[in-house]
Amino acid sequence: MESLIHPVLLLAMCALGAVGVCLALPRRGLTPQVVGAAVAGLAAGVVVLALTLKNPEHRPNVYFYIFAAVALGSAVRVITHPKPVYAALYFILTIIASAGLYLVLSAEFMAFALIIVYAGAILITYLFVIMLASQSASEETDKGEQEYDISAREPIAASVVGFLLLATLTAFAFRGASELPGSVSATSGLTKHPLSVGVVERETAILADMPRRVEQELRRAGLLKDGDKVVVSEDGAADVDLAGGTIGVVRASGGTERVAIPAGFMPKNVESVGFNLLRDHPGSIEIAGVVLLMAMLGAVVLSRKQVELDEELKKQQAHRLAGEPGEGGAA
Amino acid sequence: MMWLLAQAGHPVAMHEATLAHYLFVAAAMFVIGVIGFLTRRNLIVMFLCTELMFLAAGIAAIAFGRFWLDYTGQSLVIFVVTVAAAEAAMALALVVLLFRKRETLSAEAWQELKG
Repeated sequence: MESLIHPVLLLAMCALGAVGVCLALPRRGLTPQVVGAAVAGLAAGVVVLALTLKNPEHRPNVYFYIFAAVALGSAVRVITHPKPVYAALYFILTIIASAGLYLVLSAEFMAFALIIVYAGAILITYLFVIMLASQSASEETDKGEQEYDISAREPIAASVVGFLLLATLTAFAFRGASELPGSVSATSGLTKHPLSVGVVERETAILADMPRRVEQELRRAGLLKDGDKVVVSEDGAADVDLAGGTIGVVRASGGTERVAIPAGFMPKNVESVGFNLLRDHPGSIEIAGVVLLMAMLGAVVLSRKQVELDEELKKQQAHRLAGEPGEGGAA
Repeated sequence: MMWLLAQAGHPVAMHEATLAHYLFVAAAMFVIGVIGFLTRRNLIVMFLCTELMFLAAGIAAIAFGRFWLDYTGQSLVIFVVTVAAAEAAMALALVVLLFRKRETLSAEAWQELKG
């Protein structure tokens, strides 16, 4: 199938981006940082615009362009800013813009989890360590910038390597998903989407597992009166038929009937992610817990302070711990 | 069946051209992280750049999950964030340890580790 973007244009823009990022990296003496960032931004913009113009009917939401521009712009600033504190603050901006991209991709749970965990916890830890480490050193230079921060190491080689990687990655991805190894079939139209067949079954199973929520939703839509109940089988599953668009209901009078599913009644993103996490990947939470526990232990062991004691003090400590009066009294 | 999904306000599968936009952003952000890791000399900024790469991988995972209408991508990102948190804890403990020994954050203070 045809490539999503002309390969020559893609390679040219990758080369331009490499030049721009190389110029934007900090170095001693002449630093045309603004020019470099503008060139790199232009290259990224041309690639995205070429993608959009080639497939105008499949362009993403307009917020994609805003969030992508903010994310990439502040990402460049993270690696080019000479002060680490500002780099960390720009990284927070990158995280927030990425959370916006997640929202555009309708991954609401992960968007807010990203802001809470990444921007709220991880980056604050980074900021603390940066401030802890730079308070003693910043008095030496009047501008507060360290020698090792204002000059990049091998900017040309790193840019060339990095953008070679980008050229290969994007050249492969832009040939289209149907060209990827292991793809089920050509995804030319939405109706032929190979995995969409299983979606209705999956959502039916999720809704069937939550009879109380189904009942609540129907009550809110005015389809259930007082005393009415959703039909629940012996193993606790609600009688939901998403493909047929109906739900089994027991009326208070005793009769059973099927009511139509109200519009917009779907498992929410959080529910779907939760079911995917705990039903399709059981045990994964435990593995994550072990990873976090080991990281905590490792951090405690690594960062504890070594207490230097001479032989005399050690002897006193040993006596004190043993409950005996030491030779030199209490230490 | 797709008609039912579209009518109920469910996100309909997106086209691969739309996916390519997100993949480009993810790849570009990843490469910026790689370049930053290679060029910066400050230990903390180097670790910030690895976080940038984690973030880019997360965008790609969620975009693919949206493309296939599958939530495994989002479950994966939960673990990417978990690993990023664990990595940040370990890395910052290491950085504090190294800083105590040499009183500088420069990676070149540890050049003799090259062997």
